[in-house]
Amino acid sequence: MKKILVLMFAILVVLSFAEVKIQFWHAMGGWRIELIQGMVNDFMKANPNIKVEVQYVGSYEEILAKTVAALQAGTPPHVVQLNEISTKKMIDSGVIVPVEDMIKKDPSFDKKKLLPQVLNYYSIGGKLYSMPWNSSTPLLFYNKTMFKQAGLDPNKPPRTFSEVISYSRKLVKKDDKGNMIRTGITWPLYAWFFEQWMAEQNKLLVDNNNGRTGNPTKVMFNNEAGLKIFEFWNTLTKEGLMINTKKGDWTAARQLFISQTVGMIITSTSDVALLLSESKKQGFEIGAAYIPIPDGVQRAGVIIGGGSLWLIKQKNQAEVEAAWKLVKYLADVDPQIAWHKGTGYFPVRLDAKEKLEKEGYYKDNPLHYVAIKQLLDTIPSYATMGAVVGVFPEIRNAIDNAVEKMINGQLTPKQALEEAEREANKAIKQYF
Amino acid sequence: MRKWVPYLFILPTFLIISIFIYYPAFNSFYLSFFKVSVFGNRKMFVWFDNYIDLFSDERFVRAFSFTIVFTLVTVVVSVFLAFFIALLLNQKVPGVRLFRTFIFAPYAVSTAVAGALWGFMLNPVVGHVNYLMARLFGVQVNWITTIPYAAYAVIIAAIWKTLPFNIIFYIAGLQSIPDELVEATKLDGANVWTRTWKLTFPLLSPITYYLVIMSIISSMFQSFAIIDVMTRGGPGDYTTNIIYRIYLDGFRFSKTGPASAESVILFLIMIVVTAVYFKFGRKSVHYQ
Amino acid sequence: MKKRTRKVVNTLLIEIGLILFSIFMFAPIFLAFTMSIQSPEFVFSYPPKIFPRGIHFENYLQALKIVPFLRMMWNSLIIAFFITLGKMVTGILAGYAYANFKFKGDTFTFGLIFSTLYIPAEILLIIPLFQIISKLNWVNTYQAMIIPFTASATNVFLFQQHFKTIPRDFEDAARIDGATPMQYLLKVVLPLSRPVIGGAAIINFTYAWNMYLWPMIVAMRDDMKTVQVAINMIMNAESSNNWGIIMAATMIALFPTLLLFFLLQDLFVKSLVGTGLKG
Repeated sequence: MKKILVLMFAILVVLSFAEVKIQFWHAMGGWRIELIQGMVNDFMKANPNIKVEVQYVGSYEEILAKTVAALQAGTPPHVVQLNEISTKKMIDSGVIVPVEDMIKKDPSFDKKKLLPQVLNYYSIGGKLYSMPWNSSTPLLFYNKTMFKQAGLDPNKPPRTFSEVISYSRKLVKKDDKGNMIRTGITWPLYAWFFEQWMAEQNKLLVDNNNGRTGNPTKVMFNNEAGLKIFEFWNTLTKEGLMINTKKGDWTAARQLFISQTVGMIITSTSDVALLLSESKKQGFEIGAAYIPIPDGVQRAGVIIGGGSLWLIKQKNQAEVEAAWKLVKYLADVDPQIAWHKGTGYFPVRLDAKEKLEKEGYYKDNPLHYVAIKQLLDTIPSYATMGAVVGVFPEIRNAIDNAVEKMINGQLTPKQALEEAEREANKAIKQYF
Repeated sequence: MRKWVPYLFILPTFLIISIFIYYPAFNSFYLSFFKVSVFGNRKMFVWFDNYIDLFSDERFVRAFSFTIVFTLVTVVVSVFLAFFIALLLNQKVPGVRLFRTFIFAPYAVSTAVAGALWGFMLNPVVGHVNYLMARLFGVQVNWITTIPYAAYAVIIAAIWKTLPFNIIFYIAGLQSIPDELVEATKLDGANVWTRTWKLTFPLLSPITYYLVIMSIISSMFQSFAIIDVMTRGGPGDYTTNIIYRIYLDGFRFSKTGPASAESVILFLIMIVVTAVYFKFGRKSVHYQ
Repeated sequence: MKKRTRKVVNTLLIEIGLILFSIFMFAPIFLAFTMSIQSPEFVFSYPPKIFPRGIHFENYLQALKIVPFLRMMWNSLIIAFFITLGKMVTGILAGYAYANFKFKGDTFTFGLIFSTLYIPAEILLIIPLFQIISKLNWVNTYQAMIIPFTASATNVFLFQQHFKTIPRDFEDAARIDGATPMQYLLKVVLPLSRPVIGGAAIINFTYAWNMYLWPMIVAMRDDMKTVQVAINMIMNAESSNNWGIIMAATMIALFPTLLLFFLLQDLFVKSLVGTGLKG
């Protein structure tokens, strides 16, 4: 009898050291591929019985498609990075393991250490579903050198819509044939910015408290708040004070700012490093500021963007445990600091932010400081928590389409808002 | 024994197609009668709802009309222009070999890269096309985000992409015309135009026949990458055709049911187009 | 005298026409090339530049470093080669059958084959096809990226159309000589079809080389990914502004297809010495 027990114990010991293989799929390309591999390598050194296969798959959509394919074929990945707007889809899918479930079993992770705004975004009903990882917000960047040239105060960036308009008027420059060679502002044509301005006015995007207290049934942006935004966008375009890109073209917007074709840009905080280095190369100084808001509005704050890490259900529970270890590691203080320094995404934890502050990091990096201050100054409310809706991509597409039609003169701002509402509501009804 | 030869010869093709195209396609088409969840783990039978929704959706109707314009212009221009250029390239002119390689280049590039390059050249401020237009004509156009220029942009890029394919085939065809025939008409005193239209073009009709249907197929099925990279189907859904709609619904919005329904509709449209094409073609194509 | 000048003028006009057209066709590629050797500050300059300021080949080195580019090119090469081979063999056999034989079900089966062109495979079939591949245990293998694509309606149609133009008398003569259909195909038909074979090789290779969605889904490790996936990895819409590196990668990826064309171009173009000098 003793011999059998010893044998069983030995087997258990061996099994517990058996290697577990997990797959981690992410959407961070370019130089970040190496950065992530480095972090994963460190993780594997500390956890010798876990082997992680990291894969840069492509865009968030491609990850979703590949995950769906892999799931249906019975070989799903263990950890996937998806964008924030996939949250409701993933929650409803039935294929994930909510992070909350892992936290309940593992007291070593204190979710209260996460930045409240970040924690709120990915939680519904107090339950955290995915691990926030690469979070960003919008930020206004402006060309200080150009401001000086044009007679604007480089230390007074515009704070309201009307200031943006008047500043832009001063920045316009034309050539001898009357062609515009420089103008005021740009931002990628993307509904994300519309959502931010709704949040700043403390208004919801969809009903049922932005989908957080019940499934959304309709959109809530066809109102005065939404109209202010559309009219602002329309005025800037019609007066030639802004250059519009095609849908979701972040590169074109950045390019316009870097080539000094525009003096201001609203883009993601994850672009700080890039804009700093490029502006240096081009020889101009940049500054950053909170995004401008409609006149007379009390600033409520911004919504986070970016993505998070999801745990996928597996047949083998040991693999889920290993995946959880990886996710915990990537969200830990030092990895988060390294991640922030290497990419510009926020460190998602308060203790990481405090450590950076102690190091004097924010003194050396004023732009990053503006970014995180804007986030931390955000007043938590359903509006600033952001919407949770399954057909988010279609809602954004509806808004983008409406904006494009508006700036082409096919629709007035009011009509555009109505069309966006119509199409978005149609999509919500068809969610399955 | 000889009776079995044709069946044996078509067997390999059939085997591959049945396993890797028909079988998955049937599954896909079958799903057009369902509402399917994002991850495919839940299904609900909805009869023809997906189809009915499509026909009452103004965006799908818009996609349909843009498809007609896009395909018509792209095919007509890329076939006839190719014929004309092939004639030029068939001449004994210095540098022809080099020209051919330059002209082939667009075919070698992937559609995504082609879209990216054209998008770059048509960039309103740092793009070369607008720069030239602005300096020469004082005209500044935002090619990608304004109506109707966005349509011109994708059509030009699509034509650019399909021309080499057509040109190569026309060159091959021109090269296979026996010299005696060419000489015979020269002796008859016919001038270049009559020679081209009454002799050369009809002689190449099998090639034209092939190229037109291939161009139609390419424009109907492969243009989504160019559109996605250049205009994202915009502004609004101005440059969205049916295949791009399918790409959006199937890939971007994870709407499996509607995407399948759209594919079925596209399939049926093409069957009709082909049936008409083959009936009409049989009469106008001359084989030796 | 007059005839000579007319010929010269004609040649000149043709030259000009071809030059302009070649510029139109090649300009975007030239742009890609310029961007790839340009120093990064000038890629987005205004006024836009046509010729680069200085030559910087670092972009190429960088492109090869960010991802295992050469390995991925090798993968693409193997995959494109076997897909081309497969498509040609199945296409020639089937095309021959449809061109030279009348058999029960010929129109129907031809229609079935042709109708596969009407299925947007890259978008619609990815998930069901992946399930099949998975059941066969072919995930992350060459087979998965080759075998499903070894038949092609385009090829069948192309060869059928071409084989139909070969005079019947040849076939009758061969039959009298006692040749089997296969022998006739190999000894008479194929040699007469060099141009079309060359053209088909280029088309199939290019198509396989430029495939993106399927290899992206099937490959699970970097060492099995293909060159288009590599370019996408370098591109990353989220925040890469280094178009120089992206274009360098594109140029490298462009090279094999252009090379293939350059080599095979003579196959379907009779040598210029033979043209028009008779009589």
